[in-house]
Amino acid sequence: MKIYIYQIFERFWHWMQVLLISALAITGLEIHGFFELFGYRNAVSIHDISAWAFLILIIFAIFWHFTTGEWRQYKPSLKLVKEQINYYITGIFSGAEHPTNKLVYNKFNPLQRLIYLGLKILVIPVMGLSGLAYMYLNYPNQGFQLGSLDSAALIHTAGAYFLIVFVIAHVYLTTTGHKPLSAIKAMITGWEEVDEKGARAMVANEMEVALKITKARLKADGNKSELLDTALAETEARLGVKKEEKFRDVVANSGAGYFRIDPNGIYEEVNNAWACLYKFKSPEDVVGKHYSLSRNKEEFEELEITFNKVLKGETIPHGEVTRICQDGSIGHHTVTMTPVVKNNQIVGVEGFILDTTARLLAEKELLENKIRLEQLLNDRDRK
Amino acid sequence: MKKLIYLVLIVFSFQATLFASPDQEASLENQHKLKLINYVKKADRLNQKVVDHGKFAVLQQEFKRPQDVTLACLSCHTERHTEIMANNHWTWQRTEKLNGRGEVSVGKKNILNNFCIGTSSNRESCTRCHIGYGWKDESFDFTEKENIDCLVCHDLSGVYKKESGMAGYPVEGINLNVVAQSVGSPKRANCGVCHFWGGGGNNVKHGDLEEAMNNGTKKLDVHMGTDGEDMSCIECHITENHNITGKLYALSSENKNRISCEQCHTTEPHSDALLNKHGLRIACQTCHIPYYAKANSTKMWWDWTSAGRLDEHGEPLHEADADGNHNYLSIKGTFVWDQNIKPSYFWFNGLADHFLITDSITEIPIQMNTLNGAYSDKGANCKTTGCSKIWPVKVHRGKQPYDAINNRLVQVKTFSKVKGEGAYWMDFDWNAAIKAGMEYVGLPYSGEYGFVETEMYWPLNHQVSPASQSLRCIDCHTRSEEGRLASLTDFYLPGRDYNAWIDNIGIILIILSFIGVVVHGALRIILRKNCLHD
Ligand code: HEM
Repeated sequence: MKIYIYQIFERFWHWMQVLLISALAITGLEIHGFFELFGYRNAVSIHDISAWAFLILIIFAIFWHFTTGEWRQYKPSLKLVKEQINYYITGIFSGAEHPTNKLVYNKFNPLQRLIYLGLKILVIPVMGLSGLAYMYLNYPNQGFQLGSLDSAALIHTAGAYFLIVFVIAHVYLTTTGHKPLSAIKAMITGWEEVDEKGARAMVANEMEVALKITKARLKADGNKSELLDTALAETEARLGVKKEEKFRDVVANSGAGYFRIDPNGIYEEVNNAWACLYKFKSPEDVVGKHYSLSRNKEEFEELEITFNKVLKGETIPHGEVTRICQDGSIGHHTVTMTPVVKNNQIVGVEGFILDTTARLLAEKELLENKIRLEQLLNDRDRK
Repeated sequence: MKKLIYLVLIVFSFQATLFASPDQEASLENQHKLKLINYVKKADRLNQKVVDHGKFAVLQQEFKRPQDVTLACLSCHTERHTEIMANNHWTWQRTEKLNGRGEVSVGKKNILNNFCIGTSSNRESCTRCHIGYGWKDESFDFTEKENIDCLVCHDLSGVYKKESGMAGYPVEGINLNVVAQSVGSPKRANCGVCHFWGGGGNNVKHGDLEEAMNNGTKKLDVHMGTDGEDMSCIECHITENHNITGKLYALSSENKNRISCEQCHTTEPHSDALLNKHGLRIACQTCHIPYYAKANSTKMWWDWTSAGRLDEHGEPLHEADADGNHNYLSIKGTFVWDQNIKPSYFWFNGLADHFLITDSITEIPIQMNTLNGAYSDKGANCKTTGCSKIWPVKVHRGKQPYDAINNRLVQVKTFSKVKGEGAYWMDFDWNAAIKAGMEYVGLPYSGEYGFVETEMYWPLNHQVSPASQSLRCIDCHTRSEEGRLASLTDFYLPGRDYNAWIDNIGIILIILSFIGVVVHGALRIILRKNCLHD
């Protein structure tokens, strides 16, 4: 199954970076005195032009990341970093499952996130600033000046080595995807080959982002069902669902549930998706009831604490919770709760839930597989 | 996908055109658009004679003495002598601040160099290059206007010549009417007769000023080449009221009355802004005088120690090297000459110091005329005189006598017409020669002499090469030991300098990451059979 993960700007940005960083690295090393290729003056010209193009590209990219909310992809998290490292050191050889299936949490795995973030906030500003210092503080006749170029030049050179090492490792790691070339193909076409499980998780993730964005755009008392539709549409667009028939259902089925609860804990409104997830026939069966109906005892207490916090004005981002459905079965979802404000007063709590049951089931299955495998191996060893 | 390819193509072609342009522009510049101010090209000048000195009766009289010519000149050009008398071509001294040492009066009259050492006590010979008649000792009257030699500078007949050892008087028997009626603005040969021959031979001293430039090509000197603009000296050394602009730091110390390339070429002569920026810290001469002594050799080493060896008849010797340059003279010692030389490079801010005859020796080799400057000199001097710039320099080294007890350089009497006066070139007796020289300047001599190594610095300004032969980026921006700036190490020069730690660690990291990739990838392939799932 293919999903659309890199948008046109991202791909343009990426390949421009490839071009510019290669040009900068090659001409930079010529300037550094390692070899003669373009001729010194030409190398300097190419380096200067590419440097400016690179700086402009960085500015566009920053702008794009903030307007689209994609900067979240780089939010660092230490969760699973160790597993990711272990995977590259050992797991990958035995064909183990990716500990952070590329799409479960994010486009980038936690290790990637850390490295890209480091790259962005360290090397690029460092290269950019030392490079600009190199350009403008080099003939020190007046004003602010460097004693000599060496400080800027040495930082710049050291940064260049880091960047080159990064590029080598990065290019290699792109071959560790679903298939060796699937990541590279994805960066060219935008479409990445993933398995269905991954796709589902991806949808959940994208929905969350889309909901947050659309919600921020709508007024507090706007029409919630409209909000959901917009978020759904946006997720579809971003994932290129329209091109993949099979995929439509995934999005439709993982539609987020919406709920609103009054200060006394009584459901005022839920949408169809919500009712569906809880296996009620229709929203009417829920409205007017207390929220305790959906939890077991411990989980209820937890929910109560959260609920009261939100009533005081806090927004609680998605925690993962277990729900008890109408028929007694158990499901899992993430939930985001925000206060409903009217005339400067908190008049209730609203939120979205996103189903994660499929993923948890998958993880459980994986764990069971693992145990089974270990047993098999143990048995074999004993024989 | 297609879009992407187009984009890449656009970016590449954009870069290709941009980085191709400097070269093209450079060649265009050569042919057409040399930027010039304050200069009218030869082709655009009106060439009309405005005066014919042959028609003046006063120049048709019979001249008994050369002084009579001077008086005839001054009868029309009244008061010009006052201008001459203020000129250091006449005084051979000027009062200037030595860098960091207050005001001193220095000039050819009293300074020491590491060629013939000094003019004191040898005037009769040295003043052959003085613009006067009769300066043979200290009795010379600098206020007597008839002693001015107008002809040596203004003769255009080519007939005029000063006699050797005759205190500036012309050779007997020259037809002074022919000479006087030929006069006009000085040409290269007029200046050259002294400035090409300083140190007693063609191109001995400067290395970038010599006889061949009277009739050279653009390749030898792009300004003076007869196949080009054919410029005379005074077209750059602009002279008003006999004040000749231009300074040479063999004698000068202050940053004034200089001429510069910029006076015609502006501070932004290149179409390439990056090159113009180089001009902030690099003198034009540095790139545009890639070699000096391009036609004839110049002296690089003069060792007085070996002087005095005579042949079996007690006569002085002359020995020449394969190029015909004398490499040994009994009167002067041993020489090394060289041709087509790469200059040495120094930071220089237009201020110089001089080693005076009264200075004690504190370092060896002695710097006869220390050029002041450093990369870091961009503060105080920037405001008044401009920053230190990298400058091409001829360094002339040698060994010359000094007072071993008083630890000072000495004046030596070298010239005399007769034996027995102590002149070295007659008697070959160092002690007597030094004694006579020091007596002349009124300084003590201990009686013990030795030889000490000295260096003298001659910033280069002439023999500018055509643009196509100027230095290239990589002549300096290179790691090679042969790099032009290999020994000017007080600053970071891209392409030449690096930090060995950073480079080594960087390269090791790159190699390790390659090895890592190869090993990891190989393991993945080898162990693929272990895979559980597709
Ligand atoms: C936005 C970023 C950058 C700017 C503004 C910049 C600017 C400069 C400048 C001004 C120079 C001096 C030579 C010249 O005038 O062209 C230089 C040298 C150099 N650059 Fe960059 N550069 C940038 C990015 C990079 C990157 C990404 C690399 C390598 C991956 C790189 C590698 C080098 C190297 C190795 C040198 C030679 C340093 C030396 O030997 O002193 N630069 N850069």
